[in-house]
Amino acid sequence: MTILEAAAALRARKVSSIELTRAALERISQLDGTLRAFITVMEESALSRARLADEELARGIDHGPLHGIPVAVKDLFLTRGVPTTAGSKLFADHVSDHDAAVVEKLTQAGAVLVGKTNLHELAYGITSANPHFGVVRNPRDPERIPGGSSGGSAAAVAADMVFMALGTDTGGSIRIPASFCGTVGLKPTYGRVSRYGVMPLGFSLDHVGPLARSVRDAAVVLQALAGYDPRDETSGREPVPDYLPPQNPSLEGLRVGLPQNFYFDRVEEDVSAAVRAAAEAAEKLGARVMPVRVPDIAALNTVARIILYAEASAVMEPHMHRRGEFGADVRALLEQGRLVAAADYVNAQRLRRMLQQEFRALLKQVDCLLTPTTPTAAPRHGEFSIDIRGRHDDVRLASTRLVRGVNPLGLPALSLPAGLDRQGLPVSMQLIGRPFEEALLMRVAAALEVALPPFPALSTKSMESSSAR
Amino acid sequence: MKDWKLLAAGCGLDLPEEELARINAVMEALEAAFRPLACTIPMEVEPAVTFACPPEENP
Repeated sequence: MTILEAAAALRARKVSSIELTRAALERISQLDGTLRAFITVMEESALSRARLADEELARGIDHGPLHGIPVAVKDLFLTRGVPTTAGSKLFADHVSDHDAAVVEKLTQAGAVLVGKTNLHELAYGITSANPHFGVVRNPRDPERIPGGSSGGSAAAVAADMVFMALGTDTGGSIRIPASFCGTVGLKPTYGRVSRYGVMPLGFSLDHVGPLARSVRDAAVVLQALAGYDPRDETSGREPVPDYLPPQNPSLEGLRVGLPQNFYFDRVEEDVSAAVRAAAEAAEKLGARVMPVRVPDIAALNTVARIILYAEASAVMEPHMHRRGEFGADVRALLEQGRLVAAADYVNAQRLRRMLQQEFRALLKQVDCLLTPTTPTAAPRHGEFSIDIRGRHDDVRLASTRLVRGVNPLGLPALSLPAGLDRQGLPVSMQLIGRPFEEALLMRVAAALEVALPPFPALSTKSMESSSAR
Repeated sequence: MKDWKLLAAGCGLDLPEEELARINAVMEALEAAFRPLACTIPMEVEPAVTFACPPEENP
């Protein structure tokens, strides 16, 4: 069931928010022993909130499509009176006295927050194998990583624990787990959604967005979250349009750019075939698919890494004397960041501006780009290198290669399932658009979602047997 | 070529040899990719320090 279907059922009195919330809590109880998608489950407050949502609807008070819907947020968003750990031992007991802006907005929209999801420590990695709060597992195959850093959010949505979970994306942290778990994941334009109350990793690269079961659900969530917030200095003042695409949108007249360089160079055959099939589907729906050459994405990735290393290490500087409390991979990244020269950080920011101009020129020729999200389906836990077309690749570098570059550009990007590979694992496509044109991405993605074959239902039998929280 | 081990020591990072070797490899690869790029920046280009992403006027 999607958010919009549940919203219709709530208003038709076919189901109550209490029933939806109890079902969510029951599902979490059944599966989370295996999946470890949650750090905190807020049973009592969720049930109380759901009761209120039902009472309000009965009295004719309707806050919109999220009213009464069970959702979760990554444990990186501040929540008043509830711990926010950032997946780190350092912040295990950190309790804020206020909510993040997006948590406020979800509350205003009537959503029911059932818990806070697990993540890669400090949101700095792609496996979500958290050394302090448990290894998050992929509901499609628990032997595989869910991706990260918003791995718990993706697992919770893919396993039908919640209808939607918020994530953050600094170098692909929404889109990678969306791709590996087979959900929709949206990284909006930098400045579109307030970062106030989100524990930072790389402040000029951090974005907030939803992981959801459908494109239209992601649109509904963005509608609730988007808008100017004076508490976030980088918040955009652009007006908020209507994001919800029609049921069967036309792509007539749209120009979709299909990269001829970089994006398909080191990608598994099944991924490449699925994304090219999506391009053909877009063409059948009326779009003009145009071959394009993209700017130097390898350079963009290098720039993004320099900026992230420096910013993350700057943010965590006050805690570096407690190096023994970091997981080994995160500690190494933070230490690397301390070796980035100031001049290199500044020059990375200058290169960022140059590459931004090149992308602006490209996005005048086409309305959006269609690429794979990740070059492979989800790798196995403990795998550090993967074989892509006979060439060994580092799992972290390979998984971020096609998504990281969008972060320094600030452009909106959406990951959408494109099908299953020969092992039955989800593979995904990425749509990249012009600044503040999320509505166009939603339209293209919604059309492709309808045109492509639906995913087979998830089997959770093996997970249930070994769970019991 | 930079000596990352010396730099790490200079930054006060007291790290085990194994960790230094790992960091050294990563930083060397990053340096090799970044240095040629840094040399291509025209003098007038300013850094995107306060980053903004305004909408297109005429898409």
